[in-house]
Amino acid sequence: MFDVTDVQGNILRGYRQPRVRHLILAVADATEARSWLGATVSGAGSVPQVTSQAPWDEKPSVCFNIGLTFEGLRALGAASSSLASFPTEFVEGMTARAEKLGDIGDSAPEHWPAPFDKPRDVHLIASIYAKDVADLDRVQGQALQNGRAFRLLGVREGFNFHGDYVHFGYHDNISQPRFAEIHDPADYPDPQPMAPLGTVLLGYPNNFEGLLWRVPDPVALGRNGTFNAFRVLAQDVVGFESYLTEAAKYLLTQRGVDELLPPGDEGKIGPGLSREAALREIVAAQMCGRWRNGVPLAKSPDTPYPEPPLPEEQLNNFDYPAASGCPYSSHIRRSNPRDAQIVQRVANNSRRLVRRGMPYGPPYDPDKPDAADAPERGLLGNFIGASLGAQFEAMCTDWVNVGLQDPRVTGSNDPLIGANARETGWFDVVLKSGNTFRLRSLPRFVRTRGGAYTFLPSISAIRYLGSLGK
Amino acid sequence: MAGLADWFERFVDELPNTAIMKFMAANILVPYWAWRTPVKPQPGGPHYSVQPGDNVQHMMNLIMPLKDKSAVGRATAALAIAANKDEIYAGLDNVGTVHFARFVIVGDNICMFSVYDGDFTNYIRDFIATIGSVFDAVVSLVEGGEDVIPSERNVEKFIDWVHAHDLYQVSDQATDLFRDIEAVNGETEITRDLRLLPRDLILQLHVNPNVSLGSGYRAYPGYSVAQVREQFGIGW
Repeated sequence: MFDVTDVQGNILRGYRQPRVRHLILAVADATEARSWLGATVSGAGSVPQVTSQAPWDEKPSVCFNIGLTFEGLRALGAASSSLASFPTEFVEGMTARAEKLGDIGDSAPEHWPAPFDKPRDVHLIASIYAKDVADLDRVQGQALQNGRAFRLLGVREGFNFHGDYVHFGYHDNISQPRFAEIHDPADYPDPQPMAPLGTVLLGYPNNFEGLLWRVPDPVALGRNGTFNAFRVLAQDVVGFESYLTEAAKYLLTQRGVDELLPPGDEGKIGPGLSREAALREIVAAQMCGRWRNGVPLAKSPDTPYPEPPLPEEQLNNFDYPAASGCPYSSHIRRSNPRDAQIVQRVANNSRRLVRRGMPYGPPYDPDKPDAADAPERGLLGNFIGASLGAQFEAMCTDWVNVGLQDPRVTGSNDPLIGANARETGWFDVVLKSGNTFRLRSLPRFVRTRGGAYTFLPSISAIRYLGSLGK
Repeated sequence: MAGLADWFERFVDELPNTAIMKFMAANILVPYWAWRTPVKPQPGGPHYSVQPGDNVQHMMNLIMPLKDKSAVGRATAALAIAANKDEIYAGLDNVGTVHFARFVIVGDNICMFSVYDGDFTNYIRDFIATIGSVFDAVVSLVEGGEDVIPSERNVEKFIDWVHAHDLYQVSDQATDLFRDIEAVNGETEITRDLRLLPRDLILQLHVNPNVSLGSGYRAYPGYSVAQVREQFGIGW
């Protein structure tokens, strides 16, 4: 029997709090740290209480959750037989999997700033979600009141500056897996099948019929837990916007560009747009698979402003038939091909992830170019799934990079988040006729600046870890 | 004097080819080195490339020692493959990323050699999901195989086990051995002495007697299964 109150609260639903602060911690004293963990279950001694999936009538003003790295579990004193029951990718940690994840070149772990430059020291990531900074400060103070338990290695803070929009200017956070066991009050139409609970929780059937992921030992530790790829992803908005201009200028020189944008249709893309500006938006939309306002190309390939307008609840109501208006090379189709024909026929829907992310850094203002020492901007992403290997890594290795799922994109990387390089990067803009314009010299727009694989333990597991050694 | 020096140089050059030195190297020197400097065996499979075009047509070379080392044991293995022929074809078709797969019996080993696209763990996981029973039939005949079957219930363990039986692919670039040694030892600084490269190779072959020389050679650039099928108009 599935008990929702045993699951940490940031997995099966998003809090939609405007701010997050991730505290990156090392265990300083295992006994104190275990006591602290035990106290987070109930919030005893003014230690922040871990937010569970228990239903609430009113959203709490602050939510608090924790994730543990493999080194963290070891530092807390988990038994060696228990440690040995965790999957290899988690044991090795994110930095050991760098090439698979595209963390190469200046995204390689050796270039990550502190505290991620010493990955073995990162033991626990405690995340505080709140409306304002004062709440973040208050809960951080409560969490670290016992200075003996942990050393604070670093902090990463994000905030939602414009609803669900992210730095590249797209409306994000539209599509998430839905679960039959979890009531979704919005219940927007979505033709994708309901995700089995095992997509994000250990101990339940997953999308692969007949396959079960190993639940780490003991069951009290493993069951109802899941894994998270925490990623600090810097976004080069200036580079992205200038590439759009470069691409639009190139397209204007190409015979056949009128098929992509019939003369006179610029106004359909946006009021008052020049031909170049309209082509920029078409390239941006094809790269993502959605117009920047979130309208999917699969539903509206010619304009971000269809008539009648597409309401918010319809933004996820599409699949990918053979004649889909969504280019097979786009980001959303690469990372989640839905029902599209793909090479790995057993893999449709098997690599889905729960994404909980929040931007960091100042919003991009096109009228005020960044100073040389402008703060970095990007996304603090949590990519959650019951199997890092079968979901997050599988998506990164073969789909986001390499492009194995469709022979028309094989040999290229995801245009938005892929490990591209000017020398080799390319992206095909797809026309209705099936012809393509190949955009070359595609640079990398998203650089990895830190991260860790964490285990998100259930409430029972936190209690169990708190009781170790007693 | 020059004659004596020439003779001495020739003598030293020939020394490694003498029976006594060969005997001493194989039976005293290498075991002594191996004892003095324990070496971790390198993991099997291809080195993952940062260039997307290089991540197709990878080689898998599984060497799996049979439990029953008699002719009857080898025949049982042959029968297990023959009995699953249709499933193997169906599996290859459905997994979609395998170019060729071959089963070979060499000595007391059943070997599975294949050419696949993309990531190894994805390939094996998709295969388990598609025709895990075939894997189980073969692996049940192999030493240690009982610990990882049924594969559907031991996915992570099974993939690790297969990975452990996949041969180390010695790079064509001799100094890449250093890269691999640094990776397996978790070394972050380059401290290796180029003059000791032959010794490092010998010590690796001491702990890893079966290896693949290179990562397979192609007469044309790498293409995925689906790219080939698309070009031939046979659907993908």
